[in-house]
Amino acid sequence: MRAAIEAKRAGVDVAVVSKLHPTRSHSGAAEGGINAALGNATDDSPEIHTFDTVKGSDYLGDQDAIEIMCREAPGDIYELEHMGAIFSRFADGRLAQRPFGAAGAPRTIYSADITGHVLIHVLYEQLVKHDIKVYEEFFCTNLVIDDGRCAGVLAWDVVRGGVHAIEANHVILATGGVGRMYYGTTNAFACTGDGMSLAWRAGVPLKDMEFMQFHPTTLKSNGVLITEGCRGEGGYLRNSKGERFMAIDAPNAMELASRDVVSRAEWKEIAEGRGVDGCVLLDLTHLGHKKIETRLPGSRELALDYAGVDPIRDPIPVRPGAHYHMGGVDVDVWGESIVPGLWAAGEVACVSVHGANRLGGNSLMETITFGRRAGQAAAERVLAEGDTGARIERSVLEDERNRINTLLNATGGERPGAIREQLAKTMYDKAGVFRTQSVLEECVEEVHALRERGRSLRIEDRSSLFNSDLVQALELESMLECADCLVTGAVARQESRGAHARIDFTERDDANWMKHSLAWNDRGEVRLDYKPVTVTKYQPLVRSY
Amino acid sequence: MEDRSHLTTLKGAYDHKMMEVTLRVRRYAGEGARAHTETYTVDVPVTATLLDCLDEIKDKQDGTLAFRKSCRMAVCGSCGMRMDGGAVLACKTAMKPFVDAGHTVTVSPMGNLPVIKDLVVDMAPFWSKIRAIKPYLDTGGAKAPEKEWRVTPVQGHLVSKEALCILCGCCVSECISMESDPDFLGPAALAKAYRFVGDVRDGDTRARLKDLSGAHGIWDCTRCYFCNQRCPKGVDPRDAIAKLGAEAFREGLTRDEGARHAKVFVNSAHKGGFLRETELVPKTIGPVAAITQIPFALQLARAGKVPNPLAPHKAKDNAEVKRLWKLLESQAPKQKERANSGAPIDGTES
Repeated sequence: MRAAIEAKRAGVDVAVVSKLHPTRSHSGAAEGGINAALGNATDDSPEIHTFDTVKGSDYLGDQDAIEIMCREAPGDIYELEHMGAIFSRFADGRLAQRPFGAAGAPRTIYSADITGHVLIHVLYEQLVKHDIKVYEEFFCTNLVIDDGRCAGVLAWDVVRGGVHAIEANHVILATGGVGRMYYGTTNAFACTGDGMSLAWRAGVPLKDMEFMQFHPTTLKSNGVLITEGCRGEGGYLRNSKGERFMAIDAPNAMELASRDVVSRAEWKEIAEGRGVDGCVLLDLTHLGHKKIETRLPGSRELALDYAGVDPIRDPIPVRPGAHYHMGGVDVDVWGESIVPGLWAAGEVACVSVHGANRLGGNSLMETITFGRRAGQAAAERVLAEGDTGARIERSVLEDERNRINTLLNATGGERPGAIREQLAKTMYDKAGVFRTQSVLEECVEEVHALRERGRSLRIEDRSSLFNSDLVQALELESMLECADCLVTGAVARQESRGAHARIDFTERDDANWMKHSLAWNDRGEVRLDYKPVTVTKYQPLVRSY
Repeated sequence: MEDRSHLTTLKGAYDHKMMEVTLRVRRYAGEGARAHTETYTVDVPVTATLLDCLDEIKDKQDGTLAFRKSCRMAVCGSCGMRMDGGAVLACKTAMKPFVDAGHTVTVSPMGNLPVIKDLVVDMAPFWSKIRAIKPYLDTGGAKAPEKEWRVTPVQGHLVSKEALCILCGCCVSECISMESDPDFLGPAALAKAYRFVGDVRDGDTRARLKDLSGAHGIWDCTRCYFCNQRCPKGVDPRDAIAKLGAEAFREGLTRDEGARHAKVFVNSAHKGGFLRETELVPKTIGPVAAITQIPFALQLARAGKVPNPLAPHKAKDNAEVKRLWKLLESQAPKQKERANSGAPIDGTES
């Protein structure tokens, strides 16, 4: 939405295509906040924000991209505020900022613990204000690449049925992540990596796919996330003996160490028998009723609804869950891919600002800053080049109609749900927080077998009216392709960096592995390639918290 | 080297205590089809929600079942539907209490919106009403500061409940005014409207209130409070509508029949401590229009439902009423302090 608003403002004809109504997207679930060095709480600067992000990325982030985000973030925040975003405030009326993991200053701007909700609604408001056309509940089935450049998308109308061709000189992917390939993810049902898979099929490599961030505090029942803000506000993590076990791995930052560090510490506690029913305990009881009610009301509600625990009285059982995919469509600092006319921004993209591990509060900022930049750059291109003659041939549309009809009428085969569940468990068991060669190799084999099984599915709903059975089959295809890219990258990367923790290669290996992996589509198989990391000022240091 | 292979896979990660849930689900295959009810029984974890049950049905028993879903954490607003006749978010409704009580729930689509298929309704009328209230901040031409607008926590708190709205439609589903007047703006759009009227940064208050005071607007709410009761996020849309009414009065926007009706109530109570019902109609719709209502009044009189219009209709001692009036009046201006604090303070002055 941020990209569409920017392009529309520049005077370009623009439309949003979304498989959900725009306010239903998963950015709305982001709780804790958005990072910009405003310096409202204590002294802060874009340079410190940059350093924290580079270090947090375990030196895999491209430093030019990180500098851009940290420099432009404050302006983007003020703009959101001027659009009408409802943020929490200090007593003097300025935007409040709170501490978040691995940040050198209280830098996270927030709206209680519904920051993403507030932002997605303010962007929708701007979409209405700018009268931007939205194709609501249209599922993109493929990109159209014509003569080497993107000519638009093919999309299935979820409500009424039918495949439509939507021609465009430029397409910006903003489809989010792929957490649903993991069991117990924090992600919405909709986070199935559709955009990554669209780009991959269209010949764009996916970058750093092996890096899936596990959020340290998710609920066992359904993976729902309890915000890092809980620890930002002073919450403790305890094991079954009541010990604050973060003292072992991060004696300084304790609970506010980087997410990968906290997730590993928790996983170890649970695996070594110091957990409680497969979880550790997030203890907020010492914060008191008032603080929990005013700063963390959403978290309390989630704990009550999905764990049956009132955090005012009892600790919340939590465990690490797949949360954010650092990897994604390989794009430059303006969001442009190697295919002319195809762009990406947000979690679907990998610029890369997050490298091997994302800091809490940096993802909302990335979607806003790089969404704006992609919208701006694509619009400039349109204004400079005019119509590139993007057309979708009738035959291309017919071919896609036939493909979808074949899937719709497929008999025999398996239900998509069965394969999806198997995939999610395979990924969680074999490509989780700790990884090792032999287990990852098994994982690759299993994912390949699942991809094979995924070629023959049984769709029970054959109607064209709101056919979510068909949509789920298409989403499964996306997830299987992304999973293949992830595990193929993971088995190859023989080091530990950020969220990719190998128990057989425990150290970071800058000499051989300080490079981005690129997963290309080679006739349906994943082929790996690498490219260097951009370093400006910050040479790699040992990362400790 | 230390063997750390036990670390890759968590044992018992999928262990959940299970329960059996039976659901009756209203099915409808679309135009021309006959609606009917189907019964399903699923095996799910004891923490399962209504949405988890529907998902289990779709995956394992009946792929044709249609419903919307996404975040499964009560923030995206996709899965509004009715359970036992009242709107709920399926993802926020735990099933264990119903299982424990031995009750089989019935699931059906939301009300007041056309049904597309099974539990999926056409939200287009809902969104058109959201668009109708000008759902974006308009600072009224005030130039934005270099940094943020200054908004104190107290000022920000004015719209904190309305800001929680996820536009799921549960309130609209249960709105009885909308049942009789499909053009009524409805609780969701009006709560969204108050989110701007109550925002100290917004400079379009009067025009907004004028629009909202017209036909199908704030005065068409019957105050049944079903919206408050059914809102899964604590937005309390009826309270927002009441706040809009109060703001409209403060702006002197009292010409609408609904506003006049409210005014007669208040004035009559203030004056005599009682409602003078005989004054209600003429003062609401005007003396000329009231004449047309005489046959209706006579009918009521025949049924013994009209008090003697000439008898004194006054409380013996209405000092208590007057004290309450004063108290409420003294509190009212605090609702929105735009007039006192002026336009938002420029964020560049610190």
